Amino acid sequence: MESAKVIDIEKQGQIKARQKQMPKKKITWKLIKQQKLLIGMSIPFVIWLAIFAYTPLIGWIVAFQDYRPQNGFLGSDWVGFHHFRVLFNDSLFYTALRNTIGMGGLGLIFGTGTAISFALLLNELRFTRFKKMTQTISYLPHFVSWVVVANLVTTMLSNTGVVNNILQFLNFTDSPINFMARPDMFWGIVTAAEVWKSTGWNAIIYLAAMTSISQEMYEAAHVDGANRFQKMWHITLPSIKPIIIILMIMSIGNIINIGFERQMLLGNNIVADAAIVIEKYALDYGIGMFRYSFGTAIGIFKSVISIILIFTFNTIAKKTSDISIM
Amino acid sequence: MNFKKLVGPIVLSSALILSACGNGEGDGDAATNGGNGYPDNGNETSEPVTLTMFHADLPQTDGFDNAVAQEITEKTGVQLDISYPVGGDDLEAIALMIGSGDFPDLIFGKGGINQLIDSGAVQPLDDLIEERGDNLKAMYGDQLDRLRNNLEDPQIYHVGTGGVENQYLETSGTMMLQLGVLRDLDYPEISTLEDYEDALVQFLEENPTNENGEEWIPMSLSGSDWRWLITVGNPAGFVAGFQDDGQWQVDEETGETTYKFQKDEFKEYFKWLNGMNAKGLLDPESFTHTHDTYISKLSSGRVLAIADQDWNIGAAEAALRSEGNEWGLWAPLPVTLNEDVQPMSTRDYGFTGTTGISISADSDNIEEAFDFLDWMASEEAQILTNWGVEGINYEIVDGQRVQLDEDRENAQTNTNYSFETGVGQYAYPFPQWGNGAEDSNGQSITRTTEEDVRTNFVDAEIETLDQYGANLWIDLFPAPEDLGIPNHGRAYEIPLPTDSQVNIVQQRADDYTTQKITEAILAAPENFDAIWDEMQEQLISFGVEEANEEMTNIVNNRIELWGEVE
Repeated sequence: MESAKVIDIEKQGQIKARQKQMPKKKITWKLIKQQKLLIGMSIPFVIWLAIFAYTPLIGWIVAFQDYRPQNGFLGSDWVGFHHFRVLFNDSLFYTALRNTIGMGGLGLIFGTGTAISFALLLNELRFTRFKKMTQTISYLPHFVSWVVVANLVTTMLSNTGVVNNILQFLNFTDSPINFMARPDMFWGIVTAAEVWKSTGWNAIIYLAAMTSISQEMYEAAHVDGANRFQKMWHITLPSIKPIIIILMIMSIGNIINIGFERQMLLGNNIVADAAIVIEKYALDYGIGMFRYSFGTAIGIFKSVISIILIFTFNTIAKKTSDISIM
Repeated sequence: MNFKKLVGPIVLSSALILSACGNGEGDGDAATNGGNGYPDNGNETSEPVTLTMFHADLPQTDGFDNAVAQEITEKTGVQLDISYPVGGDDLEAIALMIGSGDFPDLIFGKGGINQLIDSGAVQPLDDLIEERGDNLKAMYGDQLDRLRNNLEDPQIYHVGTGGVENQYLETSGTMMLQLGVLRDLDYPEISTLEDYEDALVQFLEENPTNENGEEWIPMSLSGSDWRWLITVGNPAGFVAGFQDDGQWQVDEETGETTYKFQKDEFKEYFKWLNGMNAKGLLDPESFTHTHDTYISKLSSGRVLAIADQDWNIGAAEAALRSEGNEWGLWAPLPVTLNEDVQPMSTRDYGFTGTTGISISADSDNIEEAFDFLDWMASEEAQILTNWGVEGINYEIVDGQRVQLDEDRENAQTNTNYSFETGVGQYAYPFPQWGNGAEDSNGQSITRTTEEDVRTNFVDAEIETLDQYGANLWIDLFPAPEDLGIPNHGRAYEIPLPTDSQVNIVQQRADDYTTQKITEAILAAPENFDAIWDEMQEQLISFGVEEANEEMTNIVNNRIELWGEVE
């Protein structure tokens, strides 16, 4: 056990030392010449970023206008924060926000949790062929379209579906439960479908991280008398912690960008209140009604929330574990 | 050496970026190629002109390569490149079109026409119609003024679709009951909801299961997505004796327009559905199953009662016909709340003409596009689009067109018939003479005639109709002449002004009512009224009253516009 920790601390020490050195280097012509190949290789991506990620931001000004395409950016009337006021006064917006964060949060927690657990279990498998096969089978659902998944889910959960058949066979319930007609179950159904679809795929990156853990640590732990669960808990998990945290930081910003296909495909008129999410709201009440400015205002709101979430989580991660992406 | 290594990635990525940016222009070029400077369509030009077109109501890809399309291209030298709203609604597609400033030559904008006009995207057609629109002028006659935009800007921006002359031989959207049920009960008279329900109950008592021992599904609806409006919302109005004004109800005396779910008459129907549900006569999955599941239930022949439009259940009907399950089809019935209410399902709305094809003001082929639309209003084109190609779809016997038997069979059992053959595919949304019109030989310009409708019936339908002493299903309904023609057309077809709040309020109200009425239908009967009352209060808080007022103005303006010019 001790040896493992020592190695870990040493590594972190090295990283910190490197980080401290970095800003000391001055940018000189010599340095640029030295790295011209690297700089050259990154230029296309900087250009790409500028064109596709930063230039569109100019479009944000339409959120403060009563934008009409025929009048252009310059000809449209300025209305200040009018569209934001309309947005914040709409009760449906808060419903959509609640659902988005709720389902996004559940998806993140259970998605990450199951992926890590699954990767841990796979990693413990010693029978390579079976391991590979399991991995392949488990990530296949990732490639199934949501339309198909939604149909599978609604069929399985229908009154005459397989889930109700099993429940009735086991005498858990007398009359079939109409799952899709229960607003209180909708978030759970969406999350479960998402977990089923993405666990195998998401586990790949964790599994890859696990394979790079030095076998010496396991051997040392073995000598110290650690059992399999202890090895998982004290070696595997701490070793992939940086990956977990970095992936968390990156996906927490997307908690609000969960799209709307799942909710639209699985939802119906009974559960509509639990199913409407921000992007569907933006589509129906923004561009679907030619309210370009209103749609943009929702977009800005989403970006602001995303940035706040990322920075908050990044700061927490930095303070508690010294791992961060910024 | 190093420099050389660098060049590759940079050039490659810049090329990618440039090609990505250039895409929009490329499309435009392809669209305008082959103009050839022949303004006269109908001339034997060597290269066909390709006109791009947006079709708001097309559900799937149409390559414009079927027999009718090829014939059109041969006659006009025009090839259409049709796009449609993929997986989304038409208004979103138009909003994106306006936002990007990229317009196809021909635009069928439907409800988005005002936005298109407002953004200057579409060409005023008055002068073109005056100078070279002989076919269009002949077709519209004095109805041409119904195409005008509004009182402030009375120009024409589109050529209206929907028959100019109408003859109603079929009805759709009413309450329907399986033919087998009517036969078993010895063809009872069914004119109220009570009769309708009694018939169901009685049939179920006598036949608890079908021949295969499967349980019947007494009544099923397709209420999980937007079709809720079709199979749940609209029948409520039909049963209450209102015409189809979309989500509105128009008082024809005063033009006063109300959001329809505020009306007590609508409540009655939902209350009845609530009772049906409580008695176990409503499919419990009516509001959760997908439309595909609904269609497969219908196709199995186990569903006894539905309330739906023909175009929504076409696939199920075709399946039943091809399986030979004739008694599994449904009969449209003139069901209303009570004996005093008259059903409006056979009403003649007059030429409504509010929607139709516009020509992009940016198009390089405005004249070609216009001449094409004008040709589509010609007798030759009307026969081609409605009857198909001679030798393939019909033959001429004694100077009259007669549909070929194999084509008739294909039309009845092939759900993709119009896409594959092109028959009927290019009638709507193009200019249409309409069901009542005749060609220069005195034969009907469309295939839909009384004899044709009769010929299309299966034996079970004919037997049922004979028992009722009727020739066609519409004979069970009041005659169109007795129902009058509304002065405002249909409220849902009036494009809303671009600065209007009505559509926002309506969307909000629709989202809310679909959910709330569903809740009310599925609730215990004693809770129904409470949920309904709560809904009424909430509707007012959305600003429905203000929307009603605005909508009343819009409808009255329409009546004035149409009345003034006539």
